[in-house]
Amino acid sequence: MLRKDVSEFPAGSSAEELRAAFKARYLSFRLLLSANNKALEIMAELQEALRGSQPFSMSLVRANTTAVSVNVFRMIQNLDNLAPGKYGILYNRFKAIEEEVNRKLASRRLPPGEELVIPLEGVDKDMADQVGSKMASLGEVKTVLHLPVPDGFVISAAAYRRFLEHNDLQNEIDRLLQTSSMEEMDTLYELSANIQQLIIRSTIPPELEQAIMDAYRALERKACEGVKISMRSSALGEDLAGASFAGQYRSELNVSKENVLQAYKEIVASKYNLQAIFYRLNRGILDEDIAMCVGAMVMVNAASGGVMYSRNPLDIRDDSVFLNSAWGLPKSIVDGRMASDLFVVSRKKPMAVTARQIATKDIKFACDAEEGVCRVEVAGEQSRLPSLHDEHILELARLGLMLEEHYGAPQDVEWAFDEKGAIHILQSRTLKQQEPKELAVLPQGCGSLRSDILLRGGSTASPGVGCGPVFVVRKDSDTLLFPQGAVLVTAQALPRWAALLGRASAVVTEQGSVAGHLANLAREFAVPALFGLPGATELLRNDLEATVDADGLKVYAGRVEALIDRSPARKNFMAGSPVHKVLEEVAEHIVPLHLIDPDATGFRPENCRTFHDITRFAHEVSVKEMFNFGKDHRFSEKMSKQLVCKVPMQWWLINLDDGFKEGVTGKFVHLEEIVSIPTLALWEGITAVPWAGPPPIDAKGFMSILLEAGANPALDPSMPSPYTTRNYFMISKNFCSLSSRFGFHFSTVEALVGERSAENYISFQFKGGAADYERRLRRARFVGEILEQFAFRAEVKEDGVFARMEGYSQKFMMERLRIIGYLIMHTRQLDMIMSNEAAYQGHRTRILNDINEALKPSAVDGYIENVA
Amino acid sequence: MALNEIQVLLVDDEKEFLETLVKRLVKRKLDASGVGSGEEALQALKQKPADVVILDVKMPGMNGIETLREIRRNHPLVEVIMLTGHANMEVAIEGMEIGAFDYLTKPVDMDELLYKVQDAHQKKTLQEQKIGLIQAATQAGR
Repeated sequence: MLRKDVSEFPAGSSAEELRAAFKARYLSFRLLLSANNKALEIMAELQEALRGSQPFSMSLVRANTTAVSVNVFRMIQNLDNLAPGKYGILYNRFKAIEEEVNRKLASRRLPPGEELVIPLEGVDKDMADQVGSKMASLGEVKTVLHLPVPDGFVISAAAYRRFLEHNDLQNEIDRLLQTSSMEEMDTLYELSANIQQLIIRSTIPPELEQAIMDAYRALERKACEGVKISMRSSALGEDLAGASFAGQYRSELNVSKENVLQAYKEIVASKYNLQAIFYRLNRGILDEDIAMCVGAMVMVNAASGGVMYSRNPLDIRDDSVFLNSAWGLPKSIVDGRMASDLFVVSRKKPMAVTARQIATKDIKFACDAEEGVCRVEVAGEQSRLPSLHDEHILELARLGLMLEEHYGAPQDVEWAFDEKGAIHILQSRTLKQQEPKELAVLPQGCGSLRSDILLRGGSTASPGVGCGPVFVVRKDSDTLLFPQGAVLVTAQALPRWAALLGRASAVVTEQGSVAGHLANLAREFAVPALFGLPGATELLRNDLEATVDADGLKVYAGRVEALIDRSPARKNFMAGSPVHKVLEEVAEHIVPLHLIDPDATGFRPENCRTFHDITRFAHEVSVKEMFNFGKDHRFSEKMSKQLVCKVPMQWWLINLDDGFKEGVTGKFVHLEEIVSIPTLALWEGITAVPWAGPPPIDAKGFMSILLEAGANPALDPSMPSPYTTRNYFMISKNFCSLSSRFGFHFSTVEALVGERSAENYISFQFKGGAADYERRLRRARFVGEILEQFAFRAEVKEDGVFARMEGYSQKFMMERLRIIGYLIMHTRQLDMIMSNEAAYQGHRTRILNDINEALKPSAVDGYIENVA
Repeated sequence: MALNEIQVLLVDDEKEFLETLVKRLVKRKLDASGVGSGEEALQALKQKPADVVILDVKMPGMNGIETLREIRRNHPLVEVIMLTGHANMEVAIEGMEIGAFDYLTKPVDMDELLYKVQDAHQKKTLQEQKIGLIQAATQAGR
């Protein structure tokens, strides 16, 4: 049987050929979708970097630019597989954009810093490539903000490379790594110890030793002879690996002159501590991509020290300053091991201490007279006294706000007061705030906030707080009525709503990815947006005033002034730096989206000006190409099997891949043998309510059928043709294409439904009819309205309906396919009775009843969390 | 398709990374093995076929692009995934144009790598089926 089919191949109708064609297209389509998601994700990352609230390096820019171009290129390739040659012009557009991007990257190549040691007062945020991001941040505080940071210097990435070269260490380290078995924890311990010892035994090249000691002597002149210093790791390449590296490397406190070089080697060696080796190995980070820079600063012999958070780390809405403080060095708090005092300061002027918890602090860390630190007991009453008095608390809090203002993001600051009562900043980095786990304690005066929360959850698609009257947009025509300054509420984050961003004060959607087009655009327009709130279109009613807190993931009833005031003004702290400039220039060819409306005449490949445009265009047309499969392919009837559902039915199935259970042979296939998810859902809808037969026709309706049939022979059901009289399903496990024809009515359903929601898709077309044009128009409008009611995007063009739905969960998509199945069966001859508005409303009520009773579809995808 | 039917060859001069990755792929039930250079990779492919090659771009001796070119010439059906620690757009796009299946940067996400290997293998299988059909058709036509 198979052989026979193959022999028909030249005629272009073999089963195998059809199957192979389908599988290839299906794979290309999936690959295109995954490249699309990846490309959009990276664009979101680039935008985040552009906002510049923390230092980033050229490596980050390069890595992301490369990843975006590869994924866009893959999209074009896969689109080319779907429709060979048809969109070839995209390759030209890609080349042109790529050349621009490369030119900008090349022209701005930053000179590699060759200085071995750099004084801290010369370091700023642009030097992350030379001194690591940690010291770049601290240097910025000293050099640009002129805040009290101890004097110091950084032993640079160039120094690290010189040190390795001088001892030929990289080769030796590679050899050690290669000859060790990585299986046993014991061997790993040994390996880590061996490499660290190797480094510690190595000699520092004379010119580096000279540079370090010169810098030390310069410090001596500023402070005092024999000044002790702190030495901290500041690894380069941390922003590539994410924050996971933080705190894995070593710091040395209170280092004496004699031990500066030794401490340097020990900190460099900590690159090979156990966790770090393990982490790099498992993430495939190249050993040579991590350079250890070391920051050295005059040691502050602290009377008290600790950590300050410029906002509540556990509650993104709480803008109070939090201070943890203890006697002695901040080490006890940084390590998180000992009891400490907590002070909370309100930032409203005049600033005031609003809460204090004083702990018994009977042990502290202090500088040893010789070297290093020691634990000292704190005796008697002093252990129970506050470790800071209010004047110092407020001074610190003010500094915290200045740092936050400068970096444009909440800060995590390590600080110390010396014995003379002078303040010193030892580290400042971006604080990651968390969503409160439960109803967290809101700052004073905001206690009333809780009662009016309408919705909570979702994810921040674009940060900020926005307020205005709610306006729910369900279909295109709604956009015409959208008021200035309203909160846009919609089921899905579709790019087509982008046109409203100029008028919207905030966006709330039930579905949608924060890496998607609309999220990208919302960030570009700086419109706060909160995505992924199931039930939003039901719960938020038009004209209700609402405050959308996109950072705090909540929607409140009414205007919540406190939130609107407190929305942190995000400030771009990297702006103006060379790295930021490069990113800006490069991003200009990547991020902006010009092709928004797929129905516009300008939606053409030659109009793609950025990678985002190509992404959008390729995604849109790929869907079209993929779902044209049924239309473009003809097949031999032998391939199909007749459906048996107790008795043989007038439906045939063609298995394209894995739509049947194994071992189905012969002319028939039983319903139980079908495993195609979309097919089964559709079939349930088709059979859910028995068809009552054609509705009674009024006399005029019957006349119009006769007239049309005469005028258009293609509509004559008596004309025999295998493709028009039989209803075919083409199926695989997750795919279904059904072309059906009942008399004068023609419909096509194509669907892709599976566990990966982002790839799910339904397209439905309904056309034809035998009645006069007026009645057919009325029926098309009728079907379109019903579909829109169930979250389809439906478009009525003349007497045809084109509906689409994408990106919902498998369960939801299956429910929607059941509705389609029902509609195929039950609306087929409605046009004959669509004589007047009354009949129209009557049928509408009946059909909606049927759907709700028999199919019980959920109103929205997912569950509704209604806190109100 | 069972994962253990997919034969994967890893090519990377960093031995410790190579070994870890091979081990992790084997743990995920793939038939994976590794070699340390482009030359060895071409030798290995002559002796034992592979479905998917994961190829480090930056290697001493024969570099990744040359190796890719040779693999495409001698084993046109084998799918190649490029791997690198240094993001470099020209190399990435050049690789894609020569016919690499995809390009991944280190650090490698295991799930992502696994998806890509599966997708690459599926592409190869389809390609083979297509060729089989054409051959059958030409023979039938004689």
